[in-house]
Amino acid sequence: MSFDIDTDCRYLESHEWVRPDGDTARIGITDFAQDELGDVVFVELPSEGDDVTKAEEFGVVESIKAVSDLYAPVSGAVVAVNERLFDEPELVNDDPFGDGWMLEVAYEESDLDGLLTAEEYRDQTE
Amino acid sequence: MSGSPYAPHTTSETTAMLDAVGVDSEEALFDIPESVRFDGEFGIDAKSEQAARRAVASKLADNDDLTEFLGRGHYDHYVPSVVDHLADRSEFITSYTQYQPEVAQGFLQALFEYQSMLVELTGLDVANCSMYDAATALGEAATLADRLRSVSGTRVLVPDLLHEGRRGVLDNYVAGGDLTVETYPTTDGNVDREALAERVDETTAMVYAENPTVRGTIEEGLDTVGDLADEHDALFTLGTDIVALALLEEPASVGADVVVGDGSALGLGSAYGFGLGLFACRGDREFLRQVPGRLVGASEDSDDRRAYTLTLQTREQHIRRERATSNICSNQAWVALRTAMHVASLGPDGLVELANDSVRRARETAARLDALTGVQAPVHDRHHFREFVARVDQPAEAIAADLEAEGYAVHAVGDHEIQVCVTETNEQALDGFVAAVSEVVR
Amino acid sequence: MLSEKGSETVEVDSELPDDLTRDSLALPNPSEPELARHYTRLSEMNYGVESGPFPLGSCTMKYNPKFTEDLAARSDASIHPDRSERSTQGTLGLLHELQTYLADIGGMDAVTLQPPAGAAGEFTGILVAKAYHEANGDERSEVIIPESAHGTNFATAAMAGYDVVSLPSNDAGRVDTEALEAALSEETAALMLTNPNTLGLFERDIEEIAEMVHDAGGILYYDGANLNALLGRARPGDMGFDVMHYNVHKTFATPHGGGGPGAGPVGVTEELTEFLPDPHVRATETGYETYTPDSSIGKVHGYDGNWLVLLKAHAYITRLGDAGLADASAKAVLNANYLAEQIDYEIPFGPFHHEFVASAGEQDAADAAKRMLDFGVHPPTTKWPEIVPEALMTEPTEIESKRTLDQLAAAFNAASASDTDTIEHAPSRTAAGRIDQTSAARNPRLSWQALEEEE
Repeated sequence: MSFDIDTDCRYLESHEWVRPDGDTARIGITDFAQDELGDVVFVELPSEGDDVTKAEEFGVVESIKAVSDLYAPVSGAVVAVNERLFDEPELVNDDPFGDGWMLEVAYEESDLDGLLTAEEYRDQTE
Repeated sequence: MSGSPYAPHTTSETTAMLDAVGVDSEEALFDIPESVRFDGEFGIDAKSEQAARRAVASKLADNDDLTEFLGRGHYDHYVPSVVDHLADRSEFITSYTQYQPEVAQGFLQALFEYQSMLVELTGLDVANCSMYDAATALGEAATLADRLRSVSGTRVLVPDLLHEGRRGVLDNYVAGGDLTVETYPTTDGNVDREALAERVDETTAMVYAENPTVRGTIEEGLDTVGDLADEHDALFTLGTDIVALALLEEPASVGADVVVGDGSALGLGSAYGFGLGLFACRGDREFLRQVPGRLVGASEDSDDRRAYTLTLQTREQHIRRERATSNICSNQAWVALRTAMHVASLGPDGLVELANDSVRRARETAARLDALTGVQAPVHDRHHFREFVARVDQPAEAIAADLEAEGYAVHAVGDHEIQVCVTETNEQALDGFVAAVSEVVR
Repeated sequence: MLSEKGSETVEVDSELPDDLTRDSLALPNPSEPELARHYTRLSEMNYGVESGPFPLGSCTMKYNPKFTEDLAARSDASIHPDRSERSTQGTLGLLHELQTYLADIGGMDAVTLQPPAGAAGEFTGILVAKAYHEANGDERSEVIIPESAHGTNFATAAMAGYDVVSLPSNDAGRVDTEALEAALSEETAALMLTNPNTLGLFERDIEEIAEMVHDAGGILYYDGANLNALLGRARPGDMGFDVMHYNVHKTFATPHGGGGPGAGPVGVTEELTEFLPDPHVRATETGYETYTPDSSIGKVHGYDGNWLVLLKAHAYITRLGDAGLADASAKAVLNANYLAEQIDYEIPFGPFHHEFVASAGEQDAADAAKRMLDFGVHPPTTKWPEIVPEALMTEPTEIESKRTLDQLAAAFNAASASDTDTIEHAPSRTAAGRIDQTSAARNPRLSWQALEEEE
């Protein structure tokens, strides 16, 4: 099976993506991750203004029978949270790189160092 | 026959099965090192069903036949026969937790209906499908307070009169976290609201009150307790029971965030403390994420028919392990089923009538005892539910012992205080009881 | 649904002042015949042990003897917990006898009957371990638990305030003693273990494990979920366990009741006896009494636990005696091994005892289980333990005959032979079709009030 991988993103081995856009970056989980999880029924996220730290847990995503921690690919203050996910967690399944995004974070570009490229992430999942 | 009477194997079947597995004997299947093999005996002789039944029954017969006027959190109401017969249907009682909902729709629906009854009775949005008993439900409420982000503080405030069993369990449930339990004073049986107000502050995680109280009094002004908790970001947990809920102020309307208490007052009767822990709470998202215990939800099956399933299971130990909201697995589902059957059998009229009778019986019985020389009842100048405390001139322990000799059981709750609980199951013995009290209090 | 068969709202009228009472109450109001039909219909949509094979791994779904129900229904069993000890000698005597039976069966020195379920037993046992360490002025912070252990173990340790150290299995599916050595330290309060483990395998190194844990100053805890494999053949106490719980609703045939009530008595060795919950029953020269153990952990239940469940367990043990208990284990182990021989799914670990874990292989284990429902049997526990991919954890218990085991095997094999499309859409022959658990969780509707609001 082949999964979507967004070439504009960088990745963590734990299947989170980060897409830089100016001073901020969006964070979500990959197509591969949502498929592994199955139907997502709940997403727990920090609030706007909270800080997330690279490689540390920032939230939780749940399917019917599994709970997975979410790890931050970059550090920074949360400037936006995708509140749609609270009522429509299925967006994570339907559009993991798009409407299923989770956080927008004010990040430091240097944090991208060490993250997987799209190419490297593809190698990992195959 | 020297085997288990419930293992159906004939000798030839056993042989055939051993052959199929490829071993000579059952013993060969046990992969147990010799050094830890047990070759002793327990010394328990196998018995026929009749003999086993007689052995247990003859022991039970050593319990004295007393008419109990006992309560204090464990109550005896008449359970209609229809409850016993329906609940004992093997499809219910021998089934397991409903992890395969397609073949467990019956129990799931019954539990969903039980949850719904509690929603109606408490005014809260969510009820789980049981805790072990009122004490463990209180413990779970405290740890829930500890997990809620909207709650601040670490102090759990409970009334000084709290039942010792409930207090003991609460102490153990909070021991693993940062919570501490403190008492606040009561006045004339009820919450001393002024004294409580002085104790509630930003360090308070939960305020607990009961209605009716352990001494049978009915609280007044619980809404101010709710407000007090709310103003300080504390949880307000109200302890009650399934019958009282039908009559007394609706918990949600006095600001209760959580309701715990005993459900077995309906459906089970006196069972040596074997109970059913009620647990209901608000339905906000945060509560839904943190509520302990099993929840049944409505859904649809593949043909779009309404169906039921356990839901939000990621809160539970089998999935979330050390981060679960509780370690509870086996609960009291079958007791909840019985309680729901009993509630349905009474209907709203019958339930309200039973609750009203509980007020009347306590009042009338207290008045009858109060008329006796050597007794003042009730001790508290309050309305009562089912039970009341009476002051006796003689030592209470001696009174209780003397009454027992006459065939009656009451609580001795203080040096000169007895507690008396009246329901429809002992009401017919009241004349004799009052006469016995009048004898022993002189 | 009951509420749709006629609800009634009554105004609440009372002799109490209005501000102390609620205004109204709305509840279903069925007649007794309606009520009887309602619950009879519901029972017909529910699968129990008497409906057919129920090989749910780790749950020990035995037949529940009827005579125990009759004993529990006796009026002399229906007593209040606050009665005097003088007037409750029958109950205290039965409890004491059960304490003794269980202590002998587990090889323990004392047993408390207070915990109302297995998880409550675990909590009690870990609190006892904690009290023991504290009494020695020895604060410890960790509990070690094998990865494949019951979820309750982890949750219990956390509830008692411990950090959980998860222990990987070795290639043979047992405790990896090297990993255990690395995990043990002066922070180790306890190791929680079940034996045979969740794969049905006996921990052959149990004596070495016990020695390692004890050398580190820790307590060895036995999870009694799998005790049905060992009755009369091995005892946790003899293996070096210090604390154990018993699941009487598993091993001693009290009904599971659709999820409870159970009971989770806890046994301890002599040196831990002083920490047992309050009260504890003991024999006197003339009868029985309760007392508070010297350094008691206090209470884990408001009263004395699930009395009527304990009563049924007592009756079961009385009926079976030594010979019946030993035979129950023998037949439980024989049945698991025979069934395993008859099924097509691969079983990666052995030799197993009363249960085995098969792998559904390329199939989704949960889907395979749904397919089994179509053959009139209850499926095994699925997807756990995770050490076996797509796990089908199977425990037939001693109550199945060769014939019903063959019937069960046929259901396994039919599922095994089914194509993906079939199992994904199973079951098709049950009262309800596949139930949408995703929408139930995404849009929780937890009461009939919530359903009515939606309409």
